[in-house]
Amino acid sequence: MSEHQPNFLIRLWRSLRAFLRGIDQAQRERVVALTAYEARELENMFVLMLLGSFAGMPSPPSFLAVELLPHLEHEIRVLNRRAESSTDALAEIMGTIDADA
Amino acid sequence: MKTIFFTGKGGVGKSTLSAAAAWQLAESGKRVLAISFDPAHNLGDIFGRTLGHKVTRFSANLDLRETDLDEAAAEYIRRNTSILTEVYSYTKAFNLDRYFKVLRHSPGVEEYAALTALEDLLRTSDDYDVVVIDTPPTGLTLRILALPRISITWVDRLRRIRRDILDKRHTVHSITGTFSEEGQKLAYEEKDDRVMQKLTELFDRYVAVARHLESDANRVAVVFNPDYLSLRESQRILDGLSDLNLGVNVAFNNKYTQGLSEIADSMERELFDGRDAPPPVHRIPWEPYRREKSYEISYDLTQLFAL
Ligand SMILES: Nc1ncnc2c1ncn2[C@@H]1O[C@H](COP(=O)(O)OP(=O)(O)OP(=O)(O)O)[C@@H](O)[C@H]1O
Ligand SMILES: [Mg+2]
Repeated sequence: MSEHQPNFLIRLWRSLRAFLRGIDQAQRERVVALTAYEARELENMFVLMLLGSFAGMPSPPSFLAVELLPHLEHEIRVLNRRAESSTDALAEIMGTIDADA
Repeated sequence: MKTIFFTGKGGVGKSTLSAAAAWQLAESGKRVLAISFDPAHNLGDIFGRTLGHKVTRFSANLDLRETDLDEAAAEYIRRNTSILTEVYSYTKAFNLDRYFKVLRHSPGVEEYAALTALEDLLRTSDDYDVVVIDTPPTGLTLRILALPRISITWVDRLRRIRRDILDKRHTVHSITGTFSEEGQKLAYEEKDDRVMQKLTELFDRYVAVARHLESDANRVAVVFNPDYLSLRESQRILDGLSDLNLGVNVAFNNKYTQGLSEIADSMERELFDGRDAPPPVHRIPWEPYRREKSYEISYDLTQLFAL
């Protein structure tokens, strides 16, 4: 009986470690998901700010957008997806630029 | 290399005086470029040459050039339309045609073309001692001169957001060892991010122009006439320039005659009394128009620009 004890303790320790790792993993996944989400939000805002002049919003001179657009494929995709999934695009734009604040 | 901008209401004599100044400075031994940014060019008429984007050598020390802002703006739109069509042709949701239509009429394209031309001019004119610039109408001139600062402010804001984006991507990358979305690898460091690189490039370009305009190497001359018509607009120029932190270094009360001395006195008072650092005012006499060599005027302009 006593010689089983170390074995049992080791097994307990192992499963505890796996359990803790699982928590850690879940935690990390949550951080990653949240940060990636924030990054997308910012990307969205970045493009909205840049393209605002085309919708009559106070924004940088339109040529700045023209200079940067060739490099903003990813952000434009994000913007498009958001526009499709959003029910009230205008509210979202206004919210993003803090116009309703 | 020094620059001198000649500003003033239409018809007051900007082109005549900038041509005269350029000619006299060149004759005094300086290497001079006279360039017109006014879409309604008459620098060529004054020197009796057909000018264009390429430099025309008028005399040993004097080069002449005209910048076609309309053409520069059109070229800018053509170039970017083709770049953007290439990058975004796959996406229907991003309505390219509508975008280009707006771009064509969007305010600022002409200013931007002018800014680009100005930047180009500053970068490539080191061989000259003096560059004399005949400016477009007041409103456009002020907008061109304001553009570098406005753009710097915006680029700076965009850079801050971009930095935040890259920080977030960096966080994700350091946890997961990668950052990609939909199979596309995204940059997470400033040195790899093309958007950040472009922003920095634009920032540096605008800072260089703004620095030059505000520096000791730049002169602004304002031209007006002894008539009340040009008073209001001259005031607007002075106010606009001071909003941009640009001073006026020299003023010309052009087409002056003895009979107009009272008007001239009162105008100069109205224009400059109470302003910080009022510029010296020079009264350039009215001279009968000559068909030949109208760039030769009897008033000596060579010492007025503190070159
Ligand atoms: N000192 C002067 N004496 C007589 N005529 C002058 C004098 N200065 C300029 N002019 C005449 O005034 C007219 C306008 O001059 P100029 O074209 O130089 O003005 P400008 O400010 O460049 O005009 P624009 O805004 O149309 O470009 C011309 O016919 C020119 O010959
Ligand atoms: Mg002129």
